Amino acid sequence: MAVVVLTAQPTIDSKTQVNLKRLFPSATAFTPKGGDPPHFKAMNGPSLLGLAFWTTELQPLERAYDGPIKILVGMDTKGVLTGVIVVEHHEPYGNFSVDTPGFAAQFRGKSIRDAFKVGVDVDAVSRATISITSASRAIRNSARLAARQLLPPPPSQ
Amino acid sequence: MIRSVAACVVAVMCACVFTRVTLHAQAQPSGGSQWQFNDEDEQTPSWTDSVRSQAVDLAVFAGFTVLALVSFFRKDKRLKYVTLAACVLLLGFWKSQLITIVNVFGLISLDLPIFRYSLAWYLLAVFTVASTVLWGRLYCGRMCAFGALTQLMDATLPASWRREPPAWLEQRAMYVKYGVLAFAILYFLVTRDRLIYRYIEPFWMFGFHGSAVMWTLLAALLVATIFVRNLYCRFLCPVGAALGAISSVTTVFSIKRWKECNSCKICEKACEWGAIQGPKIVKSECVRCDDCERLYADTKKCPHWIILLKDLKKARPTVAAPLNN
Repeated sequence: MAVVVLTAQPTIDSKTQVNLKRLFPSATAFTPKGGDPPHFKAMNGPSLLGLAFWTTELQPLERAYDGPIKILVGMDTKGVLTGVIVVEHHEPYGNFSVDTPGFAAQFRGKSIRDAFKVGVDVDAVSRATISITSASRAIRNSARLAARQLLPPPPSQ
Repeated sequence: MIRSVAACVVAVMCACVFTRVTLHAQAQPSGGSQWQFNDEDEQTPSWTDSVRSQAVDLAVFAGFTVLALVSFFRKDKRLKYVTLAACVLLLGFWKSQLITIVNVFGLISLDLPIFRYSLAWYLLAVFTVASTVLWGRLYCGRMCAFGALTQLMDATLPASWRREPPAWLEQRAMYVKYGVLAFAILYFLVTRDRLIYRYIEPFWMFGFHGSAVMWTLLAALLVATIFVRNLYCRFLCPVGAALGAISSVTTVFSIKRWKECNSCKICEKACEWGAIQGPKIVKSECVRCDDCERLYADTKKCPHWIILLKDLKKARPTVAAPLNN
C-alpha cells in the first residue's frame, strides 16, 4: 500500500510545498495528497495541525466567470481557516478581484460555520460579483465537506 | 447548412449549461452531521433570490440593450452617440462586461459561467450571438465598450489628424484579426492558458488592472488609434473576427443598396470601417454603424434620389418640387 502511494504521489511539488508552508508556518511536515476527499495533512511532529485541499478537487463544479477557481485552503482541526491561496486564477474584465491579496486575506481565521455570504461576512467588490461569490462558495463548501469527512466534530455547544 | 450548424452549437451550449446547473444542485452534500452547519448556507439559492440579487445587473443590461436596439432601428446619429457613451460608462467602467476571447475559450472547452449566477452575462452573450446572426456585427458597433471608446475618440478628435490606410493595405490588414483569433485558439488548445487575453485584448483597461507592459501596449494602441480610427476593431480584435465569421455567412437582414451603388463611391469613402468595396458590403467588416444607411436615405446626397428626382422633375415638374425639399 505504501509503495502504491509512493509511486502515485511520490512528493509534493515545490510550489505547493511553499504554499502549504505559508498556510501552516509551524508545520514540520506535510503528507502527500491522499484520502477522500483528497487532502494534505499538516503535521507538527506526531500531532495533526490541520488539513489543506484544493477547492477544484472538492467543488469541481464551482466556477467563476472564466472557469474553475483553483484555491488552496488551509484549515485547522477545529474548522478555522488558516488561510487561502489563490493559485491559478486569471479572471478577465471586471472579475479580477479574486487575484488581489485583500480577497484571500479576509478568510484567515474565519470559522467554517460562518455563512461566507458576499456583502455580509465577505467583502463585496464591484465589478467582481460573480467571481467573489463563487470563490466564497467554493471555499466554504469544500472546507465543510473536508470537515464533515475528515475531522472529528467539536463537542456540541 | 451554416444555420443548422449554428443551431446545433446553441443546443449543445444549452444542454451543457443545463447539465452544469443540475449537477451543481446535486453536488451539495446532504445532512448536517455533528458539525451542525447551517445547511441553508450551502443550498442553491431559489430562482427568486438569484434573480433578485442580480436585478441591478439585469436591469442595466436589459436597459442598455433596448437603447442599442432603438438607436439601431431609428438610424439616429445622436442616439447612437448616446448609446456609445452609455456603453463606455455602463458596460465599460461600471460593469466591465465585454464579450472576450476568454468567452471563445470557454465555448471551446465548454467551461462557461454558471447560468444561475451569471444571468446578465448570458443576456449579453446570447444577444451578441443572436444580433450577429440577424444583422451582423451589431455588438462591435455599439455594445463593445472598447469599440465605443474608439468611436467616441474618432468623433471628438480633429478629422485632419486622421490618416486613411491605403486600400491595398487595408484589405490585407483586415485579415490580421483572423490570424490573431486562430493563434489565440491554438495557443489555448495547446497550453490551456487563458492568460494570453491580456496581450491580445485591451478590455482589461476598464478594470484598471494591468501590468506595466500591458499599459505600455495599450498606450501605443490608443496613440495609433488617434491616427487610424477604430484600428483595433478593424484589424486586430479576435472577437470581432469570430463575430465577423458568423455574420459573413448568416446575416439575415443585410443592408439594402441601390443599383446606383455599383458606380457611386460616396458611401465607400464615408465608411469608417472600410467595409464597402465597390458594389458590395463586406459583411465581416460591417458593424452596422448606419452611416451608409443614412446616406442611402438622404435625398440630397444619394445619387439614387438625385437621379430619380431629376427624372421626375423632367417628366412632371410640379409633382417633383415638394419632394425635393
